[in-house]
Amino acid sequence: MKKLTPQAVLGYPVLALFVFISLLPLWMALKIGLTYPNDVYTSASSLLPSAYTPGNFLRVMGLPSTIELSAFRAAPIDFMLALRNSVIYTALTVAGQIFFSALAGYAFARMNFPGRNKLFFAFLAATMIPSVVLFIPNFVLIKQLGLLNSFAGLVAPTILMTPFAVFFLRQFFLSAPKELDEAARLEGASQFQIFWRIALPIQKGPIATLAILLSINSWNEFFWPFLVGRDPGVRVMAVALSDFMSQTGRGNPDWSGLMAAIMLSILPVIAMLIIFGRQIVESLQTSGLK
Amino acid sequence: MRRNLTGVLAAATALTTLASSFARAEEVTINYAMWDANQAPVYRQCADKFEAENPGIKINIKQDSWDNYWTTLSTSFVAGTAPDVFVNHLSRFPEFLANGVMDDLTDRIAADKVDMKAYLAGLAESWNKDDRQYGLPKDWDTIALIYNKKMVADAGISEEELRNLTWNPKDGGSLEKIVARLSVDQNGKHGNEAGFDKSRVAVYGWATNTVDGYGQTQWSFLAVSDGFKPIDKPWGKQYGYDSPALADTLTWIRDLALKKGYALSQEQTGRLNATAIFAAGKAAIVPDGSWNISSYRDTSKAEFGFAPLPQGPEGRRSMFNGLSDSIWSGSQHKDEAWKWVKYLGGSDCQTIVGKSGVVFPARPEAAKAAEEAHKAKGLDVSAFVQLATPETTFPFPISDRASEISAILTTAIENVLLGKGDPAAILKEANDQANGML
Amino acid sequence: MSGRAKSISLRQRRRKEALVGYLFVAPAFLGFLIFYLLPTLRAVEISLTDWNLMRASKFVGLGNYATLLSDANFWHSAKVTFAYVVYNIPLQTVLGLLLAVLSDRLARAVWLRAIIIAPYLISNVVAALVWMMMLDPILGLVNAFLTFFGVGPQGFLASPDQAMVSVAAISTWRHTGLTALLFYAGLQAIPAHLYEAAKLEGAGEWTIFRRITLPLLRPVLAFVVVTSLIGSFQVFDVVAVATAGGPSNSTRVILWYIYENAFKFNKMGYASAISVVLFVTLILITLLQMRVLRADQSDLD
Repeated sequence: MKKLTPQAVLGYPVLALFVFISLLPLWMALKIGLTYPNDVYTSASSLLPSAYTPGNFLRVMGLPSTIELSAFRAAPIDFMLALRNSVIYTALTVAGQIFFSALAGYAFARMNFPGRNKLFFAFLAATMIPSVVLFIPNFVLIKQLGLLNSFAGLVAPTILMTPFAVFFLRQFFLSAPKELDEAARLEGASQFQIFWRIALPIQKGPIATLAILLSINSWNEFFWPFLVGRDPGVRVMAVALSDFMSQTGRGNPDWSGLMAAIMLSILPVIAMLIIFGRQIVESLQTSGLK
Repeated sequence: MRRNLTGVLAAATALTTLASSFARAEEVTINYAMWDANQAPVYRQCADKFEAENPGIKINIKQDSWDNYWTTLSTSFVAGTAPDVFVNHLSRFPEFLANGVMDDLTDRIAADKVDMKAYLAGLAESWNKDDRQYGLPKDWDTIALIYNKKMVADAGISEEELRNLTWNPKDGGSLEKIVARLSVDQNGKHGNEAGFDKSRVAVYGWATNTVDGYGQTQWSFLAVSDGFKPIDKPWGKQYGYDSPALADTLTWIRDLALKKGYALSQEQTGRLNATAIFAAGKAAIVPDGSWNISSYRDTSKAEFGFAPLPQGPEGRRSMFNGLSDSIWSGSQHKDEAWKWVKYLGGSDCQTIVGKSGVVFPARPEAAKAAEEAHKAKGLDVSAFVQLATPETTFPFPISDRASEISAILTTAIENVLLGKGDPAAILKEANDQANGML
Repeated sequence: MSGRAKSISLRQRRRKEALVGYLFVAPAFLGFLIFYLLPTLRAVEISLTDWNLMRASKFVGLGNYATLLSDANFWHSAKVTFAYVVYNIPLQTVLGLLLAVLSDRLARAVWLRAIIIAPYLISNVVAALVWMMMLDPILGLVNAFLTFFGVGPQGFLASPDQAMVSVAAISTWRHTGLTALLFYAGLQAIPAHLYEAAKLEGAGEWTIFRRITLPLLRPVLAFVVVTSLIGSFQVFDVVAVATAGGPSNSTRVILWYIYENAFKFNKMGYASAISVVLFVTLILITLLQMRVLRADQSDLD
């Protein structure tokens, strides 16, 4: 039985407050998502809706709903399409980036070739290049390649590498045991086979960590898709939600529809957090330690 | 030899013609971009009729919010993926002309003998520069006051009074008196009574859309009725935002909110528009544009009516703005695009649009249909229509570098209305900056 | 003879390894070249031109940089961005540290950290939208709360005096959990015997925190401050969604100003010039900070 120290008496309420503030906005979003559009302004101060309706959730998913809005208020969001686009965007960038960065990280850690260290230092220096200086030239390039409003244009800058991913994976390849590699080499395995069959599987843990970190970033990415992927066919969730807002947002937002869409959009995230909470927390914790 | 060459050429021409007629047999899709979500379904009706009359051409309407529309459009001009036909706004005309993104329609108009006199006077002309025509008139708009009938009746104000409002920047005329009577604080005290608590107002007499640099629905009608001239002439080089008339008007508007508490301040307006404020019952009178008539019909639970703008020292003045349909110069299907533009500007489509009442079409007979459609639903929209004359309107100010200048003017007007300094000084600085760009 | 043959085969093997090495690095190198190295140079090149993407570009030398020096809007945006950083970083760092220490001491359960990290897992866009709703003058809970306590409704995102603070608060809400998590990991790495030794010597809580915890957290602190500082100077998402630079330019942060110039005013050259200036500033700040905070060494040694 722990003693109630003064720290605990002060500390637990503060912790509770943090939890409350972290979750309150999401709770309110859920509440407004469940509120009839006409009631949104009348029950502002209450934590519970005056009358529940699943209608907003149904209508943003494009399902038949009892809530009929006039043409003016029917905010267009193709929720399922945006979800699909976000999944494609995230899957492509995360998978591509990890695969190619792992190849490079492995080579930097395990292979000898002239200029290796210089090249690695250049990659390392690139971690310092802020995206602010890159977006205009990259936009111009994507435009000149005719890839605006395409998945190719969306994923191009990050699918081959990010300096962070290369750096991160190299660290782990450096510390992995070399004996297995050598044994496989003696058996005549090619470098790629060694990499694919032996070196990569050993790093399952770090790769999962990296995948979690990168997925969070890609899923939440706004700026680049906002610049190059505005067409509904490739528009990711973050951009679609922002467009949803500005669509009616010139003063008369469809708050209940918007909040319903938001709650749906974070559903996968919440599910992941419940299922993989420990892994996510631990991945994020390690991201600060070298 | 020469004969041979001619022969080859002739054969080649024949082949090309054949090829293009094959191509024509395939379906062509014309993309049509607009920003008004209200209008998209109505124009779909036009498109359906057009498609029936023109087999082989499909119309794809792309609607994007005003905020996104212009950025998306410029990006798509750059990317070469712009819509074949797009709804055009006068504020962008100079920029688009300089960038060469609009197709010159002059020859097509002459060839097809399109009657430009069939449009309400002034509309076609505003889309003309150096005798070249860059768009066919789509619609026009004016400003009027929207009032909450119950609130007005409760305050004992007659509709007759509302129709004959006067205004001046010194004492605010009868407009200010009425707005005061319509403001009610949380204790039920009216703005004209002693003890009115301006910090706890339940219903404001007056509210507007969030302000911007042109003040189309917010302040321009007051300022111009007091002698303000936004710009020396269309395509001008001299903005007139340093005029005392503008400073006086904005000072009056600022004080109405910040000192007297009769109007919703800019800070409280936030990003809300007049429609939302009115629908929420927070304001008794709001000025707004004719393109929003159907929004009030759709969102306001309370009964409402329209009154003409107040009479200023120089009369009643509404901004008069006309949109057009333009063809993108990079379109791959200009012939089909032109057919669609011609149809959009024609009597059939404009009458369909008029009957829906979403907007006043550019053709007088179609505008009449809009007026009647509203009347059939019990709405008297004459307050908008009666101002659509050359004497009672002024044009949207257009100049080069409009997007930058608009950002400068918007900030200045915001600063004035938020009470961030001397209005005349703020406006003078912004005006110098704007003129410095031209 | 045989020694020579061996050295040849060794050389061949080396050459083959080098070749494979290059092949392995090639895709990443391509990405590095096309999307990092060349664009950085290209940004400088574009910054020397007057170009709107539609008309031909015109070389103007250092003209854009000269304009920038006397552009009041640029300096305003620099000031506003700086204000954002000043609101955001200390608040986020202190709250994160507090949260980390509390959970390290009182509640080490993973589910607690999972809840605290939740705001970080949703996008800036969603955070901005949800807080726009919370801070709305009419339907917002925060104003309802303030009114209940007798404080009048505040403009928050609609007020020029409060908008930047509000944006910073939204960012803090989203990022504090991550900051706390990083500190928490740092705290876990501090050996328990150090605390015990200090306690035996009769040191108080505050002394222990100042003398042991804080110095040993330095590497994590440096990492957190550097990354969040660099991120803060490039704040965009919340501004783009919630305020669009307004009201009356009060949230016109640098990246928004660059975006406006590039995509609203079609001034690619000028926008690039600003981005290059910001780039150089950020690099300098990073180097300076690394030095000041001595990031690479903790006092554990």
